[in-house]
Amino acid sequence: MARARLHRLLPAVLGAVWAVACGPKHASGPTRPPELAGAGTSLVVLLPDADTGLAGRANVANPFGSVDLETKYDATSATPNRRPDAVSTLSEADVTRIFGDALSALPPPLQHFTLFFRFESDELTDESRALLQDVLNAVRGRTAPDIAIVGHTDTTGTSSANFQLGLKRSTAVRTLLVAAGLDPSVVEVTSHGEADLLIQTADETAEPRNRRVEISVR
Amino acid sequence: MQAFSRMCIGVLALALAGAAPLSAQNPTAAGRIKVASGSALIVRQGASIPAQAGQVVFESDQLRTGTDGRIGVTLKDDTRLSIGPNSEAHLERFVYAPAEGSLALVVKFVRGVAAYVSGRIAKLAPDAIRLETPSAIVGVRGTSLAVRVEP
Repeated sequence: MARARLHRLLPAVLGAVWAVACGPKHASGPTRPPELAGAGTSLVVLLPDADTGLAGRANVANPFGSVDLETKYDATSATPNRRPDAVSTLSEADVTRIFGDALSALPPPLQHFTLFFRFESDELTDESRALLQDVLNAVRGRTAPDIAIVGHTDTTGTSSANFQLGLKRSTAVRTLLVAAGLDPSVVEVTSHGEADLLIQTADETAEPRNRRVEISVR
Repeated sequence: MQAFSRMCIGVLALALAGAAPLSAQNPTAAGRIKVASGSALIVRQGASIPAQAGQVVFESDQLRTGTDGRIGVTLKDDTRLSIGPNSEAHLERFVYAPAEGSLALVVKFVRGVAAYVSGRIAKLAPDAIRLETPSAIVGVRGTSLAVRVEP
Protein backbone atom coordinates (compact mmCIF):
# COMPACT_ATOMS: atom_id res chain seq x y z
CA MET A 1 0.00 0.00 0.00
CA ALA A 2 2.78 2.35 0.98
CA ARG A 3 4.54 1.43 -2.23
CA ALA A 4 1.42 2.10 -4.31
CA ARG A 5 1.12 5.53 -2.70
CA LEU A 6 4.79 6.22 -3.35
CA HIS A 7 4.32 5.35 -7.02
CA ARG A 8 1.45 7.83 -7.26
CA LEU A 9 3.50 10.48 -5.54
CA LEU A 10 6.69 9.83 -7.46
CA PRO A 11 6.00 12.16 -10.42
CA ALA A 12 5.21 14.98 -8.00
CA VAL A 13 8.31 14.25 -5.95
CA LEU A 14 10.49 14.13 -9.08
CA GLY A 15 8.94 17.37 -10.30
CA ALA A 16 9.75 19.01 -6.99
CA VAL A 17 13.32 17.70 -7.08
CA TRP A 18 13.77 19.06 -10.63
CA ALA A 19 12.29 22.39 -9.56
CA VAL A 20 14.62 22.62 -6.57
CA ALA A 21 17.71 21.31 -8.33
CA CYS A 22 17.22 22.88 -11.72
CA GLY A 23 14.53 25.52 -11.39
CA PRO A 24 15.07 29.28 -11.65
CA LYS A 25 17.02 30.60 -8.70
CA HIS A 26 15.21 33.23 -6.68
CA ALA A 27 17.10 36.28 -5.46
CA SER A 28 16.58 35.16 -1.87
CA GLY A 29 17.83 31.61 -2.55
CA PRO A 30 21.43 30.44 -2.41
CA THR A 31 23.44 31.58 -5.43
CA ARG A 32 26.00 29.34 -7.02
CA PRO A 33 29.66 30.24 -6.53
CA PRO A 34 30.96 31.90 -9.72
CA GLU A 35 33.52 29.16 -10.44
CA LEU A 36 30.63 26.69 -10.80
CA ALA A 37 28.50 28.97 -12.97
CA GLY A 38 28.77 26.62 -15.95
CA ALA A 39 28.22 23.38 -14.04
CA GLY A 40 25.75 21.10 -15.79
CA THR A 41 25.69 23.29 -18.91
CA SER A 42 25.45 21.04 -21.92
CA LEU A 43 26.37 21.67 -25.52
CA VAL A 44 24.58 19.40 -28.01
CA VAL A 45 25.70 19.28 -31.66
CA LEU A 46 24.07 17.45 -34.56
CA LEU A 47 26.62 15.53 -36.66
CA PRO A 48 26.36 14.36 -40.27
CA ASP A 49 25.85 10.65 -40.86
CA ALA A 50 29.20 9.06 -41.76
CA ASP A 51 27.74 7.24 -44.80
CA THR A 52 25.42 9.83 -46.31
CA GLY A 53 26.93 13.08 -45.03
CA LEU A 54 23.39 14.13 -44.11
CA ALA A 55 22.22 14.87 -40.59
CA GLY A 56 19.14 13.45 -38.87
CA ARG A 57 17.16 15.59 -36.46
CA ALA A 58 17.25 16.11 -32.74
CA ASN A 59 15.18 17.98 -30.21
CA VAL A 60 16.78 19.46 -27.11
CA ALA A 61 14.29 20.18 -24.34
CA ASN A 62 14.02 21.07 -20.68
CA PRO A 63 11.09 22.33 -18.60
CA PHE A 64 11.67 25.87 -19.89
CA GLY A 65 11.49 25.20 -23.61
CA SER A 66 12.92 23.24 -26.52
CA VAL A 67 14.81 23.75 -29.77
CA ASP A 68 15.22 21.58 -32.89
CA LEU A 69 18.58 20.77 -34.47
CA GLU A 70 17.99 20.19 -38.18
CA THR A 71 21.15 20.53 -40.23
CA LYS A 72 24.70 19.35 -39.67
CA TYR A 73 26.69 21.07 -36.92
CA ASP A 74 23.55 22.77 -35.59
CA ALA A 75 24.22 23.28 -31.88
CA THR A 76 22.53 24.52 -28.76
CA SER A 77 23.69 25.11 -25.22
CA ALA A 78 21.37 24.31 -22.33
CA THR A 79 21.69 25.37 -18.72
CA PRO A 80 19.65 23.87 -15.90
CA ASN A 81 17.56 26.96 -15.22
CA ARG A 82 16.47 28.38 -18.56
CA ARG A 83 15.37 27.29 -22.02
CA PRO A 84 18.05 25.94 -24.41
CA ASP A 85 19.81 28.71 -26.37
CA ALA A 86 18.79 29.54 -29.94
CA VAL A 87 20.42 27.25 -32.49
CA SER A 88 23.82 28.25 -33.82
CA THR A 89 25.99 26.39 -36.31
CA LEU A 90 29.49 25.27 -35.34
CA SER A 91 32.32 24.93 -37.82
CA GLU A 92 33.75 21.50 -38.52
CA ALA A 93 37.00 22.73 -36.92
CA ASP A 94 35.14 23.62 -33.70
CA VAL A 95 33.52 20.20 -33.59
CA THR A 96 36.89 18.50 -34.02
CA ARG A 97 38.50 20.73 -31.39
CA ILE A 98 35.77 20.19 -28.79
CA PHE A 99 34.74 16.61 -29.50
CA GLY A 100 37.77 15.07 -31.25
CA ASP A 101 38.69 12.87 -28.28
CA ALA A 102 35.19 11.40 -28.03
CA LEU A 103 34.80 11.03 -31.80
CA SER A 104 38.12 9.20 -32.09
CA ALA A 105 36.84 6.63 -29.56
CA LEU A 106 33.71 5.78 -31.58
CA PRO A 107 33.87 2.15 -32.67
CA PRO A 108 34.10 1.67 -36.44
CA PRO A 109 30.79 1.48 -38.32
CA LEU A 110 29.23 -1.96 -38.49
CA GLN A 111 29.18 -4.10 -41.55
CA HIS A 112 25.81 -5.54 -42.53
CA PHE A 113 25.06 -8.59 -44.60
CA THR A 114 21.62 -9.78 -45.64
CA LEU A 115 21.16 -13.41 -46.60
CA PHE A 116 17.98 -14.69 -48.23
CA PHE A 117 16.16 -18.02 -47.88
CA ARG A 118 13.98 -20.32 -49.89
CA PHE A 119 10.23 -20.25 -49.09
CA GLU A 120 9.34 -21.66 -45.62
CA SER A 121 12.80 -23.10 -45.28
CA ASP A 122 16.07 -22.54 -43.47
CA GLU A 123 18.03 -23.17 -46.68
CA LEU A 124 19.97 -20.22 -48.12
CA THR A 125 19.65 -19.16 -51.73
CA ASP A 126 22.80 -19.89 -53.75
CA GLU A 127 23.70 -16.19 -54.03
CA SER A 128 23.49 -15.79 -50.27
CA ARG A 129 25.54 -18.88 -49.54
CA ALA A 130 28.34 -17.28 -51.54
CA LEU A 131 28.33 -14.28 -49.14
CA LEU A 132 29.39 -16.33 -46.10
CA GLN A 133 33.08 -15.92 -46.93
CA ASP A 134 32.65 -12.13 -47.03
CA VAL A 135 31.17 -12.30 -43.51
CA LEU A 136 34.18 -14.25 -42.24
CA ASN A 137 36.58 -11.78 -43.86
CA ALA A 138 34.76 -8.87 -42.20
CA VAL A 139 35.05 -10.53 -38.79
CA ARG A 140 38.78 -11.15 -39.23
CA GLY A 141 39.40 -7.49 -40.02
CA ARG A 142 38.19 -6.26 -36.60
CA THR A 143 39.45 -5.96 -33.06
CA ALA A 144 37.16 -7.46 -30.39
CA PRO A 145 34.53 -8.45 -32.97
CA ASP A 146 31.07 -9.67 -32.16
CA ILE A 147 28.43 -10.88 -34.56
CA ALA A 148 24.65 -10.66 -34.31
CA ILE A 149 22.66 -13.01 -36.52
CA VAL A 150 18.98 -12.08 -36.65
CA GLY A 151 16.38 -14.22 -38.39
CA HIS A 152 13.37 -12.66 -40.14
CA THR A 153 10.33 -14.01 -41.96
CA ASP A 154 7.56 -12.73 -44.17
CA THR A 155 4.03 -12.40 -42.75
CA THR A 156 2.79 -15.82 -43.93
CA GLY A 157 1.73 -17.84 -40.85
CA THR A 158 1.36 -16.94 -37.18
CA SER A 159 3.77 -14.58 -35.45
CA SER A 160 4.87 -17.28 -32.99
CA ALA A 161 5.56 -19.78 -35.79
CA ASN A 162 7.48 -17.04 -37.58
CA PHE A 163 9.53 -16.30 -34.48
CA GLN A 164 10.55 -19.97 -34.47
CA LEU A 165 11.25 -19.99 -38.22
CA GLY A 166 13.39 -16.85 -37.85
CA LEU A 167 15.36 -18.54 -35.08
CA LYS A 168 15.78 -21.65 -37.22
CA ARG A 169 17.19 -19.49 -40.02
CA SER A 170 19.62 -17.59 -37.81
CA THR A 171 20.77 -20.83 -36.15
CA ALA A 172 21.36 -22.42 -39.56
CA VAL A 173 23.55 -19.48 -40.58
CA ARG A 174 25.54 -19.69 -37.33
CA THR A 175 26.14 -23.40 -37.96
CA LEU A 176 27.50 -22.65 -41.43
CA LEU A 177 29.74 -19.82 -40.18
CA VAL A 178 31.11 -21.81 -37.22
CA ALA A 179 31.82 -24.75 -39.54
CA ALA A 180 33.80 -22.31 -41.69
CA GLY A 181 35.91 -21.20 -38.72
CA LEU A 182 33.99 -18.50 -36.82
CA ASP A 183 34.53 -18.40 -33.04
CA PRO A 184 31.09 -19.34 -31.62
CA SER A 185 31.64 -17.40 -28.37
CA VAL A 186 31.25 -14.04 -30.13
CA VAL A 187 28.07 -14.95 -32.01
CA GLU A 188 24.58 -14.13 -30.84
CA VAL A 189 21.57 -15.64 -32.54
CA THR A 190 18.07 -14.16 -32.28
CA SER A 191 14.81 -13.88 -34.18
CA HIS A 192 12.63 -10.91 -34.89
CA GLY A 193 10.04 -13.15 -36.59
CA GLU A 194 7.68 -11.07 -38.72
CA ALA A 195 8.06 -7.94 -36.55
CA ASP A 196 10.84 -6.25 -38.53
CA LEU A 197 9.99 -6.45 -42.25
CA LEU A 198 12.42 -5.29 -44.93
CA ILE A 199 9.49 -4.76 -47.33
CA GLN A 200 6.29 -3.56 -45.63
CA THR A 201 3.37 -5.84 -46.49
CA ALA A 202 -0.06 -6.75 -45.16
CA ASP A 203 -0.37 -9.83 -42.94
CA GLU A 204 -0.33 -13.23 -44.71
CA THR A 205 1.76 -11.95 -47.62
CA ALA A 206 4.49 -14.08 -49.17
CA GLU A 207 7.50 -11.82 -49.83
CA PRO A 208 10.88 -13.42 -50.60
CA ARG A 209 12.82 -10.29 -49.56
CA ASN A 210 11.41 -10.55 -46.03
CA ARG A 211 12.66 -14.16 -45.66
CA ARG A 212 16.13 -13.24 -44.56
CA VAL A 213 18.86 -13.28 -41.96
CA GLU A 214 20.62 -10.03 -41.18
CA ILE A 215 24.16 -10.23 -39.91
CA SER A 216 25.82 -7.35 -38.09
CA VAL A 217 29.59 -7.60 -37.78
CA ARG A 218 30.64 -5.10 -35.15
CA MET B 1 -12.01 -17.84 -0.92
CA GLN B 2 -12.33 -15.31 -3.68
CA ALA B 3 -11.27 -12.53 -1.33
CA PHE B 4 -8.31 -14.64 -0.30
CA SER B 5 -7.18 -15.20 -3.88
CA ARG B 6 -7.63 -11.50 -4.59
CA MET B 7 -5.39 -10.78 -1.63
CA CYS B 8 -2.84 -13.29 -2.94
CA ILE B 9 -2.80 -11.52 -6.28
CA GLY B 10 -2.34 -8.24 -4.44
CA VAL B 11 0.59 -9.65 -2.46
CA LEU B 12 2.08 -11.08 -5.64
CA ALA B 13 1.72 -7.75 -7.39
CA LEU B 14 3.47 -6.01 -4.51
CA ALA B 15 6.22 -8.64 -4.53
CA LEU B 16 6.71 -8.12 -8.28
CA ALA B 17 6.70 -4.36 -7.88
CA GLY B 18 9.30 -4.74 -5.15
CA ALA B 19 11.39 -7.09 -7.29
CA ALA B 20 11.42 -4.81 -10.33
CA PRO B 21 14.27 -2.53 -9.18
CA LEU B 22 16.36 -5.60 -8.40
CA SER B 23 16.23 -6.86 -11.98
CA ALA B 24 19.56 -5.10 -12.54
CA GLN B 25 21.13 -7.94 -10.54
CA ASN B 26 20.39 -10.36 -13.33
CA PRO B 27 20.87 -8.27 -16.47
CA THR B 28 21.26 -9.31 -20.07
CA ALA B 29 24.17 -8.02 -22.15
CA ALA B 30 23.48 -4.65 -23.77
CA GLY B 31 26.61 -4.47 -25.90
CA ARG B 32 30.38 -4.61 -25.92
CA ILE B 33 33.31 -2.32 -25.37
CA LYS B 34 35.23 -1.93 -28.62
CA VAL B 35 37.66 0.81 -27.71
CA ALA B 36 39.28 1.39 -24.31
CA SER B 37 42.43 3.35 -23.61
CA GLY B 38 44.06 5.17 -20.71
CA SER B 39 42.17 5.36 -17.44
CA ALA B 40 38.84 3.76 -18.37
CA LEU B 41 36.37 2.14 -15.99
CA ILE B 42 33.00 0.46 -15.92
CA VAL B 43 31.16 1.08 -12.65
CA ARG B 44 28.74 -1.78 -12.09
CA GLN B 45 26.60 -1.90 -8.94
CA GLY B 46 29.08 0.30 -7.14
CA ALA B 47 32.20 -1.69 -8.11
CA SER B 48 34.79 -0.30 -10.55
CA ILE B 49 36.07 -2.63 -13.25
CA PRO B 50 38.84 -1.67 -15.70
CA ALA B 51 37.28 -1.33 -19.16
CA GLN B 52 38.82 -3.48 -21.91
CA ALA B 53 37.97 -4.06 -25.55
CA GLY B 54 35.75 -7.11 -25.91
CA GLN B 55 34.12 -6.72 -22.50
CA VAL B 56 30.35 -7.00 -22.26
CA VAL B 57 28.36 -4.03 -20.93
CA PHE B 58 24.99 -4.27 -19.22
CA GLU B 59 22.01 -2.04 -18.64
CA SER B 60 22.72 0.33 -15.71
CA ASP B 61 26.50 0.21 -16.21
CA GLN B 62 28.33 3.52 -15.86
CA LEU B 63 31.30 4.42 -18.05
CA ARG B 64 33.99 6.67 -16.56
CA THR B 65 37.33 7.96 -17.77
CA GLY B 66 40.26 9.81 -16.24
CA THR B 67 42.46 12.50 -17.81
CA ASP B 68 43.85 10.19 -20.53
CA GLY B 69 40.89 7.81 -20.91
CA ARG B 70 38.54 7.00 -23.78
CA ILE B 71 35.82 4.35 -24.16
CA GLY B 72 33.82 3.28 -27.21
CA VAL B 73 30.85 0.89 -27.04
CA THR B 74 28.64 -0.79 -29.64
CA LEU B 75 25.22 -1.82 -28.33
CA LYS B 76 23.19 -4.78 -29.54
CA ASP B 77 20.92 -2.65 -31.70
CA ASP B 78 24.07 -1.22 -33.41
CA THR B 79 23.94 2.07 -31.49
CA ARG B 80 27.49 3.38 -30.99
CA LEU B 81 28.53 5.48 -28.00
CA SER B 82 31.85 6.92 -26.95
CA ILE B 83 33.28 9.17 -24.28
CA GLY B 84 36.50 11.17 -24.19
CA PRO B 85 38.77 12.03 -21.22
CA ASN B 86 37.38 13.10 -17.82
CA SER B 87 33.97 11.95 -18.88
CA GLU B 88 31.10 9.94 -17.50
CA ALA B 89 28.02 8.43 -19.15
CA HIS B 90 25.44 6.03 -17.71
CA LEU B 91 23.60 3.39 -19.71
CA GLU B 92 20.43 3.83 -17.66
CA ARG B 93 18.19 1.59 -19.72
CA PHE B 94 18.59 -0.71 -22.69
CA VAL B 95 15.84 -3.01 -23.97
CA TYR B 96 16.09 -4.53 -27.44
CA ALA B 97 13.44 -7.15 -28.14
CA PRO B 98 11.76 -6.09 -31.38
CA ALA B 99 9.81 -9.38 -31.68
CA GLU B 100 7.98 -8.45 -28.46
CA GLY B 101 7.83 -4.76 -29.38
CA SER B 102 10.04 -3.90 -26.38
CA LEU B 103 12.56 -1.19 -27.16
CA ALA B 104 14.19 1.41 -24.94
CA LEU B 105 17.45 3.30 -24.73
CA VAL B 106 18.19 5.86 -22.04
CA VAL B 107 21.69 7.28 -21.73
CA LYS B 108 22.64 9.89 -19.17
CA PHE B 109 25.63 12.07 -20.05
CA VAL B 110 26.97 13.21 -16.67
CA ARG B 111 30.16 15.11 -17.57
CA GLY B 112 32.79 15.50 -20.24
CA VAL B 113 32.47 14.82 -23.96
CA ALA B 114 30.55 12.07 -25.71
CA ALA B 115 29.45 10.97 -29.16
CA TYR B 116 26.32 9.03 -30.12
CA VAL B 117 25.44 7.32 -33.40
CA SER B 118 21.93 5.90 -33.54
CA GLY B 119 21.17 2.25 -34.27
CA ARG B 120 18.15 0.07 -34.94
CA ILE B 121 16.06 1.34 -32.01
CA ALA B 122 16.14 4.82 -33.58
CA LYS B 123 14.72 3.33 -36.79
CA LEU B 124 12.07 1.12 -35.15
CA ALA B 125 10.93 3.38 -32.28
CA PRO B 126 12.64 6.79 -32.13
CA ASP B 127 10.43 7.83 -29.21
CA ALA B 128 11.91 4.99 -27.15
CA ILE B 129 15.25 6.85 -27.05
CA ARG B 130 16.13 9.46 -24.46
CA LEU B 131 19.53 11.06 -24.10
CA GLU B 132 19.77 13.02 -20.87
CA THR B 133 22.16 15.70 -19.69
CA PRO B 134 21.93 17.57 -16.35
CA SER B 135 20.18 20.44 -18.16
CA ALA B 136 18.21 18.94 -21.05
CA ILE B 137 16.68 15.87 -22.62
CA VAL B 138 17.59 15.11 -26.23
CA GLY B 139 15.17 13.30 -28.51
CA VAL B 140 16.54 11.91 -31.77
CA ARG B 141 15.39 11.02 -35.27
CA GLY B 142 18.08 8.79 -36.75
CA THR B 143 20.91 10.95 -35.64
CA SER B 144 24.58 11.31 -34.85
CA LEU B 145 25.28 13.71 -32.02
CA ALA B 146 28.07 15.02 -29.86
CA VAL B 147 27.47 16.23 -26.32
CA ARG B 148 29.63 18.17 -23.86
CA VAL B 149 28.62 18.54 -20.23
CA GLU B 150 30.50 21.05 -18.05
CA PRO B 151 31.60 19.47 -14.76
